[in-house]
This record gives sequence, C-alpha cells and structure tokens, in this order.
Amino acid sequence: MSTLTLREAPPERLDFLSISPLSLKGLSQGEAERLEVGTSRRGVRLGDCFAVSLDGSDTLTIEGGHERLDHVGASLSDGAIRVVGDVGQRCGAGMAAGTVTVTGNAGPYAGSGATGGTITIEGDAGDFAGGAVYAAKAGLDGATLIVHGNAGDHCGDRMRRGLILVGRAGAHAGSRMIAGTIAALEVGDLPGFGMRRGTLVTGKHGALSPTFVETGSHDLVFMRLLAKQLRSLSEAHADLLAKPLRRYSGDLATLAKGEIWVSA
Amino acid sequence: MPAWVKGAATDIDAAIGAAADLLGAARMPVIAGLNAEVSAIRAAFDLAGRVGGSLDTDGAAGTYAELGALSRVGAMTSTPAEVVGRADAVLVVGANPWTSELMGRVVGSAPSRGRAAGAERSLLALGAPTNRASFAVPAEGGVLSALAQLRAHVRGHLADDSPFAELSKRLTSSLYAAVLYDPAEIGEMGVETIQGLVVDLNDTTRVFSLAVPGQTVNQDRAVVPVSAWTTGQAPRVGLGRRVPEHDPWRFDAARQVAAGEADAALWLASVPAPRPDWLTKVPSIALVGEASADAAQVVIAVGVPGRDVGGVLWNETRGALTYWPPRSGGSAPADLPTAASVLERLTKSLAARSGTVC
Repeated sequence: MSTLTLREAPPERLDFLSISPLSLKGLSQGEAERLEVGTSRRGVRLGDCFAVSLDGSDTLTIEGGHERLDHVGASLSDGAIRVVGDVGQRCGAGMAAGTVTVTGNAGPYAGSGATGGTITIEGDAGDFAGGAVYAAKAGLDGATLIVHGNAGDHCGDRMRRGLILVGRAGAHAGSRMIAGTIAALEVGDLPGFGMRRGTLVTGKHGALSPTFVETGSHDLVFMRLLAKQLRSLSEAHADLLAKPLRRYSGDLATLAKGEIWVSA
Repeated sequence: MPAWVKGAATDIDAAIGAAADLLGAARMPVIAGLNAEVSAIRAAFDLAGRVGGSLDTDGAAGTYAELGALSRVGAMTSTPAEVVGRADAVLVVGANPWTSELMGRVVGSAPSRGRAAGAERSLLALGAPTNRASFAVPAEGGVLSALAQLRAHVRGHLADDSPFAELSKRLTSSLYAAVLYDPAEIGEMGVETIQGLVVDLNDTTRVFSLAVPGQTVNQDRAVVPVSAWTTGQAPRVGLGRRVPEHDPWRFDAARQVAAGEADAALWLASVPAPRPDWLTKVPSIALVGEASADAAQVVIAVGVPGRDVGGVLWNETRGALTYWPPRSGGSAPADLPTAASVLERLTKSLAARSGTVC
C-alpha cells in the first residue's frame, strides 16, 4: 500500500488529478516527490507537502486530507484511494472504475461525471454532490456515490445514470435529473426541480413543487429489487423501501417521466 | 492626480510601485470587479496573465445564472428595441425588471412594427405585486415554483382554472411575446425554466426572452466577450498555471478570500460600483472612479469612462458595446489617467522585476 502523509497544510489549492495508484506505479520515490500539484505561479510539488512512500501496489492511502485537495480520485480507472481526512472539490469526478473512500468531508462536485466505480464520503459532501459542473452535460453518470453524512444543495443535479445514497440532502436534490436513482433519508425544498426522468426515494422532504402530482401507492417489483440492492450498501436506506410509499410524478414542467417516492 | 498608499496621499508613480510590490509578493492574487471600459478589462486580463492571478466580476451571480442556462439549454433572446417595437405581450418575471430603464419604454407604448403592429400591449406579471400589469399572478411558493407551474400549463401537463392557466392562454394567444427577467434574481434554474418555456411557446406563436438588470447595472456584459476572445472562457478564469483555467467555484473572489487562498486583491471599478466587504480582509489595491483614501491599501483614482475619459462600455439601451466620449465641461480633474494606462504601467513594472516574471 502506497502512502502519502500530509506534513503541512498546503499553501494553495492542490490538483491531484495526476495522483493515482496507476500513475505512481512506475515512478521512483524521487520522481513522485517532484510531481507538480500546485495551482499558483509559485507551484507546489508533491514532496513539499507530503511524505511519500511507494510500493507499486494499486492501493493509495492519503494520511491527512485537507479541504484544498482538489480532484482526488478524479478520472480514476483502476485501484483504490483512501483519504484519512477531508478533500476539496471534484473528488472522484469523471472516474471510470475503482474505489475512492474519504473519511472526512468532501467539497462540492463530488462524483461529477463519474461513469463507474464507488465513491464513499464518510462525512458530509458539499453542494452539487453527484451534480454537474459548469457546462457539463451530466452529473453522476453511472458510478455509485455514498454520502454517510449530509450533502449540500443540488445533490444529483443533472445526474444521468448510477446511484446516490445520502443521509440528508439540501435543497433541489435531484434537480434537472436526466436519469438514475437517488436514495436520501431526507431532502430539502423543491426536490427534483426540472427532473426529466429518474427516481428519487426519500423519507422526508421540504416544500414540493406544485408540478409534482401524487399518483398513489404502488407495489412494484422494481422497488423490491432496488431494496435488495440498497440493503448491501445501507440498511437505513433499504428500510425506507420497506414502508408503504407514496409516488409523485414529475416534473410536469419538463418531460414528467421522473418520480419521487416518499415513505409514508 | 489622486493616489493614496495606506491612507497617505502620494503621487501615481509611488502608488504603482506600492501596487507592484503587493502583487509581486502574492502567491494567488485576485483581480475582481472588472466594472470598467473594454480597454481596462483587456489590460486586467494581461495583468492577470503576468501575475498568475484569477479574475472575477462584480455581477458574477447573474452572469453565471445566465451562462449556466445558456450552456445547457441554449437561449432564444431578443433586444430591447425589438421588445419595444414588436411585443404585444410582455411577461415580467420577478420584481427587479420593473425597476429597469427598459420598463419605462415598454409601459405606455404599443408595438409599432411586425405582425403585432397597431395592437395594444398587455403587461403580464409573475411573482411581483404591481399595479402596472394588466394581469398579475403572485408566486406564493417562490418564483421557481411559479415558473414551473406556468410551463406545465403551457405544455398541457396541468389543466385547471388557476391564474396560471389564464396566463398561459394570454401568452399563447399573443402575436409576439417577450419574457423579461433578471438572472441574478431568479438564478440558473429560473433562467433555464424560462428558456424552456420560451421554446414551448414557440410551437404556437413567437416568443423571445430578454435578460434585463434591475437597478444594479454592471459591465459584465462587456467582460464576457472580452474574456471569451482573450481566454476562450467565461470570466472566472485563473492563470496560476500559465494557461487559462475556467472554474466558477474555485475563482469566486469572495470564496477565495474567505478561505484564505487569495493573498492580494485588485479591485477594478472605473465605473463606480459598491465595494465588496471582503476587500478589507486582504491586502488590496483599488483602481476606482470614485476614490477615497480608505478604499484599499493602495488607491489610485482613474477616469470614469463616459465622463472623464472616453471608453467602450456595454450599452444597455442598444444591447451592444458602444464608445462613450468624455463629457465636456465635467467637474473632475482633467489629468485623471485611464484605468487601462494604470494597469499597463503596473504590468510593465512587474515584468521588469526578474523575480515576478511569469
């Protein structure tokens, strides 16, 4: 297991796009320490902030995270990254496979555009968790994003595929969703605003847009299959589906093929 | 030529020297405001390239609400002259557009050309109590919900006898409708809903949207094209890694200062604008049209474009960039420098210092 141990707080935002188990594999310790990760004109090299210990394995542990570490696990295609501490924006953005685990909090845009793999945030996530960055076509796009704590506003914004599991999400969860599934114990105001398709399952919600209409309670095979899948990830989320659910269809302002399931 | 360093009056050379010291020593300087004429905005981008700084604008909230929706769903837009000349129905969304200069021309006139020429103009309001509208629909659950409800009626997904049904009927039966909104007031999702609404309405009639600022007018509409032709990106770019990186979250100046990432700031407002609170929390330089000694650590008074000096500014009335000559007989001192000339001197002075070459 390769390890990067934080020695001091980074003086500027660091870009970890090029730091992955795969990219460190063929490097000597000196070469890895000289990797440029800074974002200002002064620049910061990996060895300036981190003690580097490499063993060529496909597992990388970052001991001591920081909210200035951007792009941790972004574009990951293989292997596992574990961060003991916080990360900055776009954690796991655009990743295709592998796992990213963060024991602390994550900044905004976690899992944005991720097409595969699993991202687990054990603390809280910022705004747009699983949401789309500026001008991107889609947010989460096939990966699995698990947030044990709370997520900020716009969780799953423009999500296209995949699964988001979150404790409490802020306002506009699942806004402009294209497709995919979000399960949240609780969501804030106007969930699913402008959603075209997709499924949002929640225990409790804030103000619902008048463009969602109740379509009754249903006992669907799909929900039982979903419960089975969720059970392996989170008991609390699977329990949401064990209760009778009310279904709301919307958003009628758009395609209206989305649905919000609320446990009664 | 008024200039101050730490509150003490000085000459412009000393002030530029102090500003160069401040920017030269910074790790991540931000250049914010950009409420200025085109030549000064260009000079600000050059300076940002020299010092590896990032840029942010005064009206970024509204600009990104507009650009975010544009990048995703596109836009069908009109111009102020077309709205005044052709629209027989004007839907005003929210409260801010009512305070705009354009509303003065829309109220009390009628369409004079196009397919609605000679018809009466009806003013429709959504989400703002006003007695100037012929039909007003309140937005009890907020403007976003109201817009969604209206769009659902227009699409035929909702049908009832609510005021939204009547508003939908009035819009679809118009010959040329315009939807006015302030992007800063309704946000990106509001703008996106309006653009979708406009597209839906164009199935039956002609409808266009027009973003109008409320009372707070800024030069963001000038910054966006300058930024696009200089960097290929929208305004919030950083040049710390020598290539323009666009990131609306990372290069939000207020966030950068609050997070302790920015260690110097240059506030450019040759067109007078209120200073943000965060400016006092970081060593700062102010290039401002309305200068006072306490505006920042280094303050340089520059000519206000269209008053003291000539300059190209965004012309809200014409919806274009136009040249504004200096006003003759102005009371300001005639020797005020242009913001562009100060920024160019600052850039040259930094380029001459070997330690800060980018």
